[in-house]
Amino acid sequence: MSYLDVIDTLQSIADGVLSGATYSLLGIGFTLVFGVMHKINLSYAAASIGAAYASLIVLSVVKAPAIFIFLLAGLSGGIIGGVIYIVCFRFIPQANPLATLMSTVGALLLIDEIIVHATVGIPVPYPALFSDVIVNAGPFTLRGDLMFMFALGCLSMLLLLGLLYRTKLGIATRAVSQQPAAAQLCGISIPRVNGLTFVITGVVGGIAGAMIGAAIGVLSPLLSLPLTTKGLIVTVIGGLGSIPGAIIAGLLVGGFENLFQYFRGVTERDLYVMLLLFAFLVFRPGGIFSPAAGRD
Amino acid sequence: MLELKGLSKHFGGVRAVDGLDLRVTQGEVFGLIGPNGSGKSTVVNLVCGLFPVTAGQVLLRNEDITSLASHVRVACGVTRTFQNIRLFGQLSVWQNLWVAQNAVEHRSEGFLRRWLGGPGRAREEIDRILEFSDLSGKRDELAGNLAFGEQRRLELARAVVAKPALLLLDEPAAGMNAEEIDQLDARIRKLKQDGLTVLLIEHHMELVMAVTDRIAVLNFGQKIAEGTPDEVQTNRLVQEAYLGVAEAA
Amino acid sequence: MDFYLGLAQIVGVHTLLGLSAYCVLLTGQVSLAQAGFFAIGAYVAAMLTVLAGWHILPAIAAASFVAGVVACAVGFPALRVKGLMLVVATLAFGEAVRLFFFNFDYQVARGEVKIGPAGGEGFRQIRFFPEHGWSTLDVLLFIWLFVALVMAALWWMDRSRAGAVLRAVGEDEVAAQSAGINVTAVKVAAMTVGGLIAGLGGGIFAHYTAHIEHAQFGVALATFAIAYPILGGLSSVFGTLIAVIFVQGFLIEGLRFLGDWRNLLFGGLILLAMNVRPRGLIDAATIAGIKRLRIRNREPGNARTQGAE
Repeated sequence: MSYLDVIDTLQSIADGVLSGATYSLLGIGFTLVFGVMHKINLSYAAASIGAAYASLIVLSVVKAPAIFIFLLAGLSGGIIGGVIYIVCFRFIPQANPLATLMSTVGALLLIDEIIVHATVGIPVPYPALFSDVIVNAGPFTLRGDLMFMFALGCLSMLLLLGLLYRTKLGIATRAVSQQPAAAQLCGISIPRVNGLTFVITGVVGGIAGAMIGAAIGVLSPLLSLPLTTKGLIVTVIGGLGSIPGAIIAGLLVGGFENLFQYFRGVTERDLYVMLLLFAFLVFRPGGIFSPAAGRD
Repeated sequence: MLELKGLSKHFGGVRAVDGLDLRVTQGEVFGLIGPNGSGKSTVVNLVCGLFPVTAGQVLLRNEDITSLASHVRVACGVTRTFQNIRLFGQLSVWQNLWVAQNAVEHRSEGFLRRWLGGPGRAREEIDRILEFSDLSGKRDELAGNLAFGEQRRLELARAVVAKPALLLLDEPAAGMNAEEIDQLDARIRKLKQDGLTVLLIEHHMELVMAVTDRIAVLNFGQKIAEGTPDEVQTNRLVQEAYLGVAEAA
Repeated sequence: MDFYLGLAQIVGVHTLLGLSAYCVLLTGQVSLAQAGFFAIGAYVAAMLTVLAGWHILPAIAAASFVAGVVACAVGFPALRVKGLMLVVATLAFGEAVRLFFFNFDYQVARGEVKIGPAGGEGFRQIRFFPEHGWSTLDVLLFIWLFVALVMAALWWMDRSRAGAVLRAVGEDEVAAQSAGINVTAVKVAAMTVGGLIAGLGGGIFAHYTAHIEHAQFGVALATFAIAYPILGGLSSVFGTLIAVIFVQGFLIEGLRFLGDWRNLLFGGLILLAMNVRPRGLIDAATIAGIKRLRIRNREPGNARTQGAE
């Protein structure tokens, strides 16, 4: 490999890692819900895209600067997250994981269809911020929009970690995930904590949806299934229930994805991402940071 | 029948079981008591194969079963009940027993017959156990719908239906009233008459003193005393460990 | 009339898909890989009839076998991965299969025409049925013959000890192990049987639809596969059948007057169904109730009836 090839390879990895922040956010959402409720919310990626759509609508009405769109997407995401909690989890007995899984599938279909109806199936352009900003660092080119996404992603993660580890709600969330019965006896309302968890992950997801829209430049309902798959892969590689794991895994998957694409092209790229997952499943099924295993 | 040699189980820094030596002779009812957290349930989990041992051996009829999987040990003749009942709630009482019925004598029936056939010969066997457990009237009831006492009886029945040589009972009397405990006492005696060896983990001292032949006392994963019920009752170490358990009348 | 025959064909094939998931779901494994086995069956069977000139019967038998072998191979590593991680792992496997066929190119020249799977374009001209003069009705009967066979086999299994053992493993693996059940063997066996059924369904699907491509075997199909048994209830094979009829009928025909809104309602309907009847349309309580009704009608005053009360 020549010097230029090495530079190109590293460049593609760097780009991938920067955009991998999006995957990290998605992974955090999945893993947080799993950690607290031991359930998977399959509609999460679709809800994130839905929040991005919603932010477009609000932005067109409110006429604020484009950068506010991330805030709006976060807010919409939070609302959608709360709604999903109510229709998919609140009233279904917790002991029935199949039913909740299926209900999130229903939510996924519903959200996709609402989007299709509202947009008549046409992809919608999304504001791409800082896309004309380019920073040159030696032989490497750092795209402004990717750096912004990365920074935004890091900021969101920091805020979330602060929430989980420095606030009362955060402690309550962790208590519920470890011992729901005991948490109840301490006066913690489980439905409330679970609902708030969904709202919080919804906010994170909304931001992620907006980031994806900004990165690609358009929004389309076709995004939800591939993003769901990607998000779940990140969650598993990072370790179900581990937020630091999701963060690192997201960046990892982003980097590898771009690397695979650079070497083997777009059509085979996803196949190699799958192989990466399988490698983890075989050699390290707990993920990067498997949460401590308890006694049976 | 059963021998534990230097049995140890560590969970990280916690020594749940620490170098335990134990011998249970065939046909006896052996009690295992001790304060909460002394490692009794862990011993049961080690003997039946749910936990891998950290060190030591489990010998059944002088054969080393320490590395055998749980279901293989059942085939060797070791079954158990669970402290918090683990029945198959969505299956009927009858099916709960049918599933566990893997007795050696039925193996000669052949693979297809055993798996894809209907109840057949197994039916009599199961009906007999249902009667023994006073559950004949509930054979088609979903296990999850049974009353607590009935569930406990089914739990015991399921462990017995596989025709074990060694039966591990993990706190079978928990949550039972006096009448139910008397019935449990009678059932254990009947099982002993039929030739079963029983290892009984229990907190209920009256039952333990009444029905066991010998007892071992655990504390912090180690054996601190062993002997007949009378010997153990008067042992100072045991009294100290328990602090305040009234002597059985 | 042809339209309804076509609908019945789809219902039949999807029932096979649903039944393959039913098998695996009984043991408590949520597998999104059934669409992958389905795809393998489809491509194998199609290649055998189109490229090797086989008759359809041995072709789908071989397809079923290959899918079963792959399923067995998937079953073992699947054991290492529990619960919801299995969902992701099987999802990834299904996607990997789809991506494989997306890139799979194996064309053979017949005269001037190239036939065979062509990567992204898919596999066209799977013309066994028309070439041998099968009418739509013939194909329909052919499909439903196999559906009936598989349903009968699974119905029998449900009433035998194997059925109870599968469900016991699904309910509580630890208890099952302690009751003497080889949980590993049971789970792998269930996955294998699921693969066999899915492969069979896929092989048939390829021929009645005449053109297969990777996009048909994606996450959506995998989700439908588990949706049928979950919506229909895991207590009986008929639940899956009813769910397929309802879903396909609903989506394609039933509420046609609603036009585009059908899809919207579908998602909403699933949400409603899971909230109101989390155990599915036909659950254990329903079956117990049906049993009691039958006994009561047949022999009033039977001692058994009083016992069951």
